[in-house]
Amino acid sequence: MNNWFKSGSPWVWLSAGGVSISLISVIGLLWLIASRGLSYFWPADIYQFEMTDEKGKNLTVIGEIYDRESIPVSQLVHLDLDIDKSAETLERLLIKTGNRELVSLDFRWILVPQINKTSLPEELVVIERRTNGNFYGYIEEIILDGQVVEQSQMAELVARVSDFQVEIEALQTSDIGAINYQIERTRLKERKHKLDNTLTPELAGQFKDKVAGLRAEYEVLEQKLMGLREKVSRDQIVMRAMDGQKVTINFEDILHVTFNNKLSFFAKLKLFFSQIAAFVTDDPREANTEGGVFPAIFGTVLMVLLMTVIVSPLGVVAAIYLHEYAGNNALTKLLRIAVINLAGVPSIVYGVFGLGFFVYMVGGSLDQLFYAETLPSPTFGTPGVMWSAITLAILTLPVVIVSTEEGLSRIPSAMRHGSLALGATKAETLWRIILPIASPAIMTGIILAIARAAGEVAPLMLVGVVKMAPNLPLDGNFPFLHLDRKFMHLGFHIYDVGFQSPNVEAARPLVYATALLLVTIIVALNMTAVSIRNRLREKYRMLEH
Amino acid sequence: MISVTPKNLSEHNVKLDLNNLTPEQVALEIKNLDLYYGDKQALQDISMSIPKGQVTAFIGPSGCGKSTLLRCINRMNDLVDICKITGQINLHGENIYDRHTDVAALRRKVGMVFQRPNPFPKSIYENVVYGLRITGENNRRVLDEAVETSLRSAALWNEVKDRLHESALGLSGGQQQRLVIARAIAIQPEVLLLDEPTSALDPISTLTIEELINDLKKQFTVVIVTHNMQQAARVSDQTAFMYMGDLIEYSDTNTLFTTPTKKKTEDYITGRYG
Repeated sequence: MNNWFKSGSPWVWLSAGGVSISLISVIGLLWLIASRGLSYFWPADIYQFEMTDEKGKNLTVIGEIYDRESIPVSQLVHLDLDIDKSAETLERLLIKTGNRELVSLDFRWILVPQINKTSLPEELVVIERRTNGNFYGYIEEIILDGQVVEQSQMAELVARVSDFQVEIEALQTSDIGAINYQIERTRLKERKHKLDNTLTPELAGQFKDKVAGLRAEYEVLEQKLMGLREKVSRDQIVMRAMDGQKVTINFEDILHVTFNNKLSFFAKLKLFFSQIAAFVTDDPREANTEGGVFPAIFGTVLMVLLMTVIVSPLGVVAAIYLHEYAGNNALTKLLRIAVINLAGVPSIVYGVFGLGFFVYMVGGSLDQLFYAETLPSPTFGTPGVMWSAITLAILTLPVVIVSTEEGLSRIPSAMRHGSLALGATKAETLWRIILPIASPAIMTGIILAIARAAGEVAPLMLVGVVKMAPNLPLDGNFPFLHLDRKFMHLGFHIYDVGFQSPNVEAARPLVYATALLLVTIIVALNMTAVSIRNRLREKYRMLEH
Repeated sequence: MISVTPKNLSEHNVKLDLNNLTPEQVALEIKNLDLYYGDKQALQDISMSIPKGQVTAFIGPSGCGKSTLLRCINRMNDLVDICKITGQINLHGENIYDRHTDVAALRRKVGMVFQRPNPFPKSIYENVVYGLRITGENNRRVLDEAVETSLRSAALWNEVKDRLHESALGLSGGQQQRLVIARAIAIQPEVLLLDEPTSALDPISTLTIEELINDLKKQFTVVIVTHNMQQAARVSDQTAFMYMGDLIEYSDTNTLFTTPTKKKTEDYITGRYG
């Protein structure tokens, strides 16, 4: 036994155990969010339950099985149920019944013992809609221009309407959006001249003409939009819900009509992937509880990239100064300790600092100086993507400084001496020899910074993230990159959907799906940086002396 | 006494009187040089003249200050914060320790090769042209020509001419050292300082470098530090023996090794210490 301890085996086992636990936690975490998140996209079977409730009334419930759980019978005694009182627990199902226009909640619990018959009728359809969530039921009739038509035309109709919808969307966001943007800019220009006292009647006339021209364009587009709107609103579908009520749904509201129970495995698989694609590329709907998360993905990636662009040069320059130029004295040591300790400041503190210093002080002053015409509505004096990127850059600065300095100190002095002996100055040596060799270490710092920044939510809530941003920070209107705009972020989206949503049950799988997406994006960003670093490492591989 | 064969001396029929060199014959003049590391004095009152177009060797036991003296010549000791120097080193009659000296320009005139080969992690080509690029030379033709001449002078051209754009780190130790020499001579220095250039190399590479040194002195003044007395005897025209920061004896190699005038020199070259 003593020998066994001496041999070191226990420590090997202990460390192997530590590695296993870490590995299992990571895999378990990924598995949990992946399984919960991805199952949201799988087209579920639509069940029809014939049941008798506690008052003896027969009813039909149609919907997807969302969850099941066992509950103690003792909780239900007051309900006077006709059930086996000797059993300790009984099962209940959470059914997603949709049809929000008929019942206020689109989920309901049903008790398994009350079910008389369960079936999967092939004619059941689920309609994914723009508003009011899913509708489950049977198709009664399809009305095209006021005429009842064959049901077989439905797929074609849905496709046609969705083409129109795409057109409407494009018209609204890009064309009409651009005109609105120009009208606003013209108004601001005029105001600026007014404030500077340079507004001549001639100029005023020009502005007036320009706005009039834009308004005329707007009228034309609006007419077109109305026409399209009318086209899509002419066709309707009449549905029969689970309680027999007939509901008329306009085609303009419909995204997809699917006979889930009829689908083959491959058709479901196809639908599964197209749902995932839609999730990644669509805008959110219904207070973020439905639709996609594209703006959040875009906002996260853009903010992280901006942060990287800001933090890398700043961190590298600071590290170079500390390592190469600052004298090796007590002050430098103090500075170094301060930098390292900055990494330990809670992130919300950076958020407060960002809001107080960048947004209100710097942003406020920028507005006074350059955007006086828009005041009192602020341009940069309000949280936005640029302030978020800068705040996170400050937050991740210590990481970049520390790893760059480490990289600099690892470079053999023979490299510096070789370069200096050839008549290079210190700066030339740094630029041509030292920095390239240190670049893998710099990349390591950037990787750590990205990993930290992409997952950070708390400070962003103060300096730029919003629940719903009307516009992306990047669009087709000059100057294309709008750094003053607020943005959406996946991390905040998870918090918002999961804990601030009016429809908790519907949002739960979205939380997992969004979390999976966030992890995927961070891993992707990191992998890109790691592969760049590996390339640099290969290039500047030092010979082992 | 160990047997040494100062073969190259026979090629040089002109023996220089090191104490009475004409100004044209002098490459470097060291005058009353003292060097301190903090409170510790590492060089004491060194005065010597290094003749042009010849190979001068510094020998002595470890820690005697021979490398320190060498590093004074191109001011590499400036990099050591605690190092303080008094006295003069004159190049073309100008003191390189003058306040107005452009150190980078000095180092272009006085090249240096270190103990361990230190090629940059770049291609062979970029290593050789590094010094030229620093001076702002970007003309492809000039660079190509410099690469070929320097590599030929460093006896490396035939081995690497087909892989000039591959990494210099793929070369063997001996090749790397010759590459570093090529890099140093590409900027046409006047003086070439070699700090134990073969101590990290195998015997065959050492031999190649020694032959190379013989060729180099046709173009450059070479100053070499070596802990290997046979090497000093083989390659150098003058030898300076240093001990504990003092210059004990400085004369032509043949005399120093055959008839040393100082007791310490004799003890050292006969292997009694060191």
